[in-house]
Amino acid sequence: MTMATPRPTPTLDDVALVIANYSRRLRTAEPWNAGAFIVVNAVIGFAWFCLLIVLLIAGGALSIILIGLPMLWATMRLWVKGARWERERLHRVFGIEILPPHRVTQASSWRGGIKARVTDLAVWRDLSYLLLLFPVGLLELSVVTLAAFLPVALILSPTYFWLGGIDIYGWNIESMLEALFASLIGVVLLPLALALFVGVARAHVEFARWMLGPSSGALQERVDVLTKSRAGVMEAMLGERRRIERDLHDGAQQRIVALAMDLGMAKEKLDSDPVVARQLVESAHDEAKRVLVELRELVRGIHPAVLTDRGLDAAISAVAGRSPVPVTVNVRLKERLPEPVEATAYFVVVEALANVAKHSRATRAKVTVTRHKDRLSVEVQDDGAGGANPILGTGLTGLGERLAALDGRLTVISPANGGTVVRADLPCGP
Amino acid sequence: MRAVIAEDSVLLREGIARLLTDAGMEVVARVGDGQALLTAIEQYRPDVSIVDVRMPPHFLDEGLRAAIEARRRVPGSRIVVLSQYVEERYATELIASGADGVGYLLKDRVADVNDFLAAVRQVAGGGTVLDSEVVAQLVARRRRGDRLESLTDREREVLALMAEGRSNAAIAERLFVSEGTVEKHVTSIFGKLGLPATEANHRRVLAVLTYLRE
Repeated sequence: MTMATPRPTPTLDDVALVIANYSRRLRTAEPWNAGAFIVVNAVIGFAWFCLLIVLLIAGGALSIILIGLPMLWATMRLWVKGARWERERLHRVFGIEILPPHRVTQASSWRGGIKARVTDLAVWRDLSYLLLLFPVGLLELSVVTLAAFLPVALILSPTYFWLGGIDIYGWNIESMLEALFASLIGVVLLPLALALFVGVARAHVEFARWMLGPSSGALQERVDVLTKSRAGVMEAMLGERRRIERDLHDGAQQRIVALAMDLGMAKEKLDSDPVVARQLVESAHDEAKRVLVELRELVRGIHPAVLTDRGLDAAISAVAGRSPVPVTVNVRLKERLPEPVEATAYFVVVEALANVAKHSRATRAKVTVTRHKDRLSVEVQDDGAGGANPILGTGLTGLGERLAALDGRLTVISPANGGTVVRADLPCGP
Repeated sequence: MRAVIAEDSVLLREGIARLLTDAGMEVVARVGDGQALLTAIEQYRPDVSIVDVRMPPHFLDEGLRAAIEARRRVPGSRIVVLSQYVEERYATELIASGADGVGYLLKDRVADVNDFLAAVRQVAGGGTVLDSEVVAQLVARRRRGDRLESLTDREREVLALMAEGRSNAAIAERLFVSEGTVEKHVTSIFGKLGLPATEANHRRVLAVLTYLRE
């Protein structure tokens, strides 16, 4: 709190300062940016309104003869994209970040994908925003125009008076003094009008944030998804550890026991029965080599060294090389990806190729890895019997969980007698 | 024959040293990382070096890189690279430095003492030895839609054994057929793949590899 001081009589300097302040307030970019933003809102709103109404009516009408349905689907994708552009525009103009609230879909078929989209509230909020942008934008524009017009009219009132009597918003100006007074009020009101520009723009941002951003319901849903995928990953990790423990216990450990036993017996018989001792040593030697093979496979299953050293292409080529079904590998990546992404993509291929070998009766398979912007797509395709069910295949379920943890998704398309396509799609960083 | 061993696991290093010494070779240096390997090769000019792929400091593929570097610095260095896993990609990189006097084997192969010693001697003599697993990967990878498909299963087996650096006699013994039969297969393979038939063993490997790598 400041102490009250006796008000000094204004000097010329003070007046100059007030004028400088005043002109600075008029010259800041913010109100003009806000004004431009509001005008653009109305224009974009009008464009979206016309476009969407036409597309929706046409799509709705044509759905009787089915062409309308894909059209409506395309329209939906268009408005989701449009909402994304709006988020980007808000980011460019005001630097605010509105996180897209859409659900991360885990659908394993196109039908599931459509259902997930259509039932996602965020998609409909996107549409509402774009449609409301026109009336809301128009309203904002009117408010702002009126607000700008009033002080300008007041400031110019001496001119009108000069030209003849004038009436501003019901105020009939009858004398030059009155006109000058009105002009002064205009001068005072002008910065307030400009502040109103900013206020209206801010209000619009809040409106956009509310419509385009995650609602508390969406956030809750996201929390649920994350909780579930985290639990899934924990479960998958523990399952993996159990599997490794079991493999070591049933395999290598037992073999080493047998090997030690053979060697122990050979040691006993070295002098008394060299022939038997020799046989025992030979059997121990064979056992040791088998343990080595087993351990190598096990360790490779945990994490292949070549993936760390040389990346996805080399690692997938190696897996393909070991597959009993001939595999064509096509990895189109220019650079290395984050380790969790590489590992997940790799294990998708390993699991899918293992399924191809075990169940598909395929004669050939194809692995394709491509990157599109910030998403990596891994596809394993075979020409086998099809009919694979991701719900039955525990290996695939585990992969789905791993992918979910990275906000990726797994799609399995496997019609009976139509081959199988396993596709993983996951974000891979900027 | 003078050998250098580069292996960071002391247990395995001493084991291999004992194995080579027993076979009448002289182990002139035992080192534990890639840098030391380069120094040792430059200093001792050994007839052959046995090198582990994974070594300090990062335990990735330092041994492989050191081997390639050694062959650049001391041309004609003969090196057997041992690895816990064999991957076709590493084999290709190693062979790219020239295939004469190069070996790439699974570490497990040390257990079969005689085969291992034979491989070391072959590399020391300027030959090429690839692990059967690498060859299998190469053959499998190239199995789709190309001329390898015109080979019969038997011919493919023979090709794989050839790539491992085996002579016709060794292949015959392995497949329980006569040497004449193997020769017939070899001629047929060369014919189908359009490779010029040559005598020396490692040249055959080279030819096969060149073809497989395309």
